[in-house]
Amino acid sequence: MSAVVSTVTKRRSSLLSIVRGSPVMGPLAALILACIFFSFKTDRFLTGANLSLILQQVMVVGTLAIGQTLVILTSGIDLSNGSVMALGGVVMTSLAVDHGLNPVLAILLGILVCILFGVMNGALVTGIRLPAFIVTLGTLNIAYALTRIYTTETISGLPSLLLFFGNTFKIGTTQITYGSVLMLVLYAITWFVLRSTPAGRSVYAVGDNPEAARLAGINTTRVLIGVYTTAALTYGIAALLLVARTGVGDPQAGQTSNLESITAVVLGGTSLFGGRGTIIGTLIGALIVGVFRNGLQLMGVESIYQVLITGILVIAAVSIDQLSHRK
Amino acid sequence: MSNAPGSVLLEMKGIGKTFPGVKALQGVNLSVRAGQVHALLGENGAGKSTLIKILSGAYSKDEGQIFFEGKPVEIKSPQDAQALGISTIYQEFNLAPHLTIAENIFLGHLPKKGGLVDWATAKARAAEILSGLGVDLSVDATTATLSVAQQQIVEIAKALNRKTRVLIMDEPSAVLSEKDLENLFRVVRTLQKEGIGIIYISHRLKEIFELADEVTVLKDGRYVDTRAVADVTMDDLVRLMIGRDLQDVYPKRTAEPGAVLFEAKNVARSKLVHDVSFQVHAGEIIGFAGITGSGRTELMRTIFGADPYSGDMQIDGKPYKPRSPQDAIKHGVALVTEDRKGQGLLLKLPVFTNTTISGLKRLTRGGIINLRAELELVKTMIRQLSIKTPSPQFMVVNMSGGNQQKVILARWLSVGTRIFIMDEPTRGIDVGSKSEIYQIMADLTKQGVGIIMISSELPEVLGMSDRIMVMREGTIVKELARAEASEERIMYYAVGSESA
Repeated sequence: MSAVVSTVTKRRSSLLSIVRGSPVMGPLAALILACIFFSFKTDRFLTGANLSLILQQVMVVGTLAIGQTLVILTSGIDLSNGSVMALGGVVMTSLAVDHGLNPVLAILLGILVCILFGVMNGALVTGIRLPAFIVTLGTLNIAYALTRIYTTETISGLPSLLLFFGNTFKIGTTQITYGSVLMLVLYAITWFVLRSTPAGRSVYAVGDNPEAARLAGINTTRVLIGVYTTAALTYGIAALLLVARTGVGDPQAGQTSNLESITAVVLGGTSLFGGRGTIIGTLIGALIVGVFRNGLQLMGVESIYQVLITGILVIAAVSIDQLSHRK
Repeated sequence: MSNAPGSVLLEMKGIGKTFPGVKALQGVNLSVRAGQVHALLGENGAGKSTLIKILSGAYSKDEGQIFFEGKPVEIKSPQDAQALGISTIYQEFNLAPHLTIAENIFLGHLPKKGGLVDWATAKARAAEILSGLGVDLSVDATTATLSVAQQQIVEIAKALNRKTRVLIMDEPSAVLSEKDLENLFRVVRTLQKEGIGIIYISHRLKEIFELADEVTVLKDGRYVDTRAVADVTMDDLVRLMIGRDLQDVYPKRTAEPGAVLFEAKNVARSKLVHDVSFQVHAGEIIGFAGITGSGRTELMRTIFGADPYSGDMQIDGKPYKPRSPQDAIKHGVALVTEDRKGQGLLLKLPVFTNTTISGLKRLTRGGIINLRAELELVKTMIRQLSIKTPSPQFMVVNMSGGNQQKVILARWLSVGTRIFIMDEPTRGIDVGSKSEIYQIMADLTKQGVGIIMISSELPEVLGMSDRIMVMREGTIVKELARAEASEERIMYYAVGSESA
């Protein structure tokens, strides 16, 4: 009897210590508290349809934030992701609509354009050893300008394949967007790669201390170029999701997405100094922003106050993180 | 050059300082007279830096008393030290590179007139100080454009402007060429004539005989003796510096050198290393001795493929041309860096990541790490090396130095290292862990591993090495067999006192 009790308490205490030690804990608690708060404030919040809507609303920024997390884990930052995504979206829609290209090929070429930007970012960060902030500030403007030079018109009348990820399927009575599922699958893949592949370990090592990583036998240049390129691949996929969600190729899209993706990463507990953070944290961070926007909207709060609260959240989250690490 | 001994300016009595787990200083005495150059001598880790940091207010003492002109004083902050007229010139200068000489000399207390900076007075005073030092420099020159030697002069001028009574110089010669050294000596003698007391730290015995009046020797954080320089010989000083009992921490081992494992022929690296040739046999420990800056670390980074080099290297008689640490690791070469936290560990990551980061290939099938096999390997290493950690998931940043070092050793052991380069393998490690690490090294040699060990602790060099290479100014100046080596002989070649 007492033995049973002691194993139970032992298990609980070890569970508690895992939970307490996990960096995801703080953001997760915040997300749950926010959900509880909004369920009390409005009965429209905690419905399948609304939760599915939240997922759909965060799927673009959530996907961009995957790439952003990889970059930030290496102690870099990517300001270019929103405009690179916009360029990719415009390229894939215009190739399919204006040039009548096979939609699959159009999508792949759009994603390829994004990847080229990733290669460029990575090459400049490693080759000339420029700070990521400067490099991606430059490519942000280049991608934005190229998009506007390419077209200032919104491209519509898309073939159905480009709209596929905006479609929904039903679980019970709840409509779920394919794009949300794709985003969750991408998170799962990234989680696995970071945890269980040599490449994933190298990302953390390079972010923690590039010189120590090099002396441990890691090709840091290859890791960094790989990270910026993989990140750009997620921006290309985000472009596809954006096109599918909005139904158009919009040259004006994504102008604040870079900061929104950084917000998700930071809210998820990833350190801007590199080497510390989790991809699950970023998903939670993206959901926190989504839940607040959605909940406040349902409560009838003006959208500008949603931005105000997001700002407060970021500062509060990072302050708590800093204080808890200071001991 | 005789100086009438002035009155005692500064006296430190029975100074003690304890850091967590380490007694850094114990019962140290030091007294400096006006117009005297007092040399502070001791090996790396003898406590010189700690002592001057106490004097300059960077650390506070735990025991002992400080007297200034006979009156007891407390130095609790750099401001306290400055108020007493104690200035320190560290090896790393404290100058604003984009400001002019005059601005640097007056940094923080520019003279003012009617609320505005009085540039005329500032420049005139700066020029006066510089000419007093016998230096010809324009006060309008930007500090960044100056040579290292000139910047040092600006530091001295800055100290003089603050009405310095006691000037501490931390290895001022380490950054200077032979020619600049002459000039520094001249400046120091000028300061002496002005009645300033100077505490002069240097490894180079030759300088001490040329410049100092008295010398105080520290060893392992303890006070050894203070002597008048006129009464001692170079050999006396070397003996005072190193003359300690060989503790029985070194494992008894008889070297059974096997075939030649590694060979370097005429290896060079830009200006830092030249003409280095040596062999390492299987089962052998080669000790590399020398003072800081003798090129030992640079040589080892070269062998590990971390820096470009010229010359030939061989492993098992076959050419070895490492272009990167990866290459070196593939050939069974490992480097345990001297700077464990800066270049060895991934501090924010857990024990298991730190252990397996270099050997993930062996644990990976189809691109995926076998996490269970990884955990097994790490647990085995933790057991074998008796690494003290609550779990493999524990963050290395929270471990003691000895256990951190064992994690690094575990990393290299798990990739089948055959040639181990260990740069200061026991630096900052307590005695207990030290002897454990020595035992690990001895066990490795039994398995036919060759070890190259850099150490600045002579007892360690003597206690562990089968052969000893003494490096000075980027090359091996002497090879000593274990039987013929002594601390005196090593020091003799390391500091180049035969040229004195």
